[in-house]
Amino acid sequence: MGLLTNKFQQDNVIVEKLDKLLSWSRSTSPWFFQFGTACCAIEMMAAAASRHDMMRIGIIPRSSPRQADVMIVAGTVTMKMAIRVKKLYEQMADPKYVVAMGSCATSGGPYWQHGYHVLKGVDIVIPVDVYVPGCPPRPESLIEGLLKLQEQILEDRPLTRKMT
Amino acid sequence: MSQEKDKLIIELVNKGLDGDMDSVNACDDKIIRAKAKAMIMKVKKGTLERPSMPESSSDAPKEPAVDNATNSGKEDDSFQKMKDMLSNEFPGEIDEIHGDGILYLKPDKWLEIAKWLKSESSLFFDSLQCQMGIDVGNDMLESRYNLHSMEHDHYLEVRIKIPRSDAKIPSVETVWRIADWFERETYDMLGIEYEGHRDLRRILLPDDWEGWPLRKDYQEQETYHGIVVPKMKEGWE
Repeated sequence: MGLLTNKFQQDNVIVEKLDKLLSWSRSTSPWFFQFGTACCAIEMMAAAASRHDMMRIGIIPRSSPRQADVMIVAGTVTMKMAIRVKKLYEQMADPKYVVAMGSCATSGGPYWQHGYHVLKGVDIVIPVDVYVPGCPPRPESLIEGLLKLQEQILEDRPLTRKMT
Repeated sequence: MSQEKDKLIIELVNKGLDGDMDSVNACDDKIIRAKAKAMIMKVKKGTLERPSMPESSSDAPKEPAVDNATNSGKEDDSFQKMKDMLSNEFPGEIDEIHGDGILYLKPDKWLEIAKWLKSESSLFFDSLQCQMGIDVGNDMLESRYNLHSMEHDHYLEVRIKIPRSDAKIPSVETVWRIADWFERETYDMLGIEYEGHRDLRRILLPDDWEGWPLRKDYQEQETYHGIVVPKMKEGWE
């Protein structure tokens, strides 16, 4: 509420597009799906813990895909896991966003050349909105990526009919 | 052997208590030195009485060196003994002998040999420390077993060579329970079939994966459930 405190005259009336209000409220609470596939998950945990505290920007870990808006793919995605990741993505409710965290999730990372068992980037199976490079990325980088995602969500116009 | 060591320790303790710590420090055997020093500390504290000097006390500092020499000789001896016992019990099963405690066996009677290795009281290999597979080239695969006996503290490495075309080895999962997952992993990576294993499935890769990745002639499959397996983002490098 910090943005709105003491900003109004007598009547708390605001004139704004409903679209914008919706995307604004959505962008300030992108709850993410709490699961990790490899070592990047450790940095994700660090980012969610007290020192970096993702909750201060409204990002809370959820343990069920049904309650999550953002999927952070933290770590190596093997072929065996790729099918599960896709299934979990499909279980999430719309609107949904994906952050590919770390080299493995963005491009296959060190398994790029010879890793027969690793998916060469999670964008092969699910659409990715933000890529966070690093091996693994520092919590600061992850939070930067999530802030970029917030900017993206702010630009969304959920009620406007899309031109095709 | 241990009696001699005890004697040596007591001798060193007496020397140390008389003010001759140099001869304690000059002792080559670490364990004897440490024990002697610990005993000296205890005597000084008063928790232990000063031991009386043993009778024979002529060439004390020389003895640990002799000990070491006989010890290393003894290890070779025990391997020699194991080998002889095995060839007596199962004639013609030893394929080839390497030094350093490595034996190549033929696969046919491996299960019986394993049972015998575990039950024979003078060998008593009660722990399978590691089992692994390797593609040694020339169309041959190898399965290796590192055995250790807790009781006798001796080691043995068993290797079994088999051709790729007929990769079958009796499973020892019923002998050493730990072999269950070891053999599953070797099966997963190299496709060695362990006959008699009660749950021989892939352990790391998905069940419907094709091929054996650690074989030297492995070709990765093109797609897996519609997902392209080899790298496909051309022009990225």
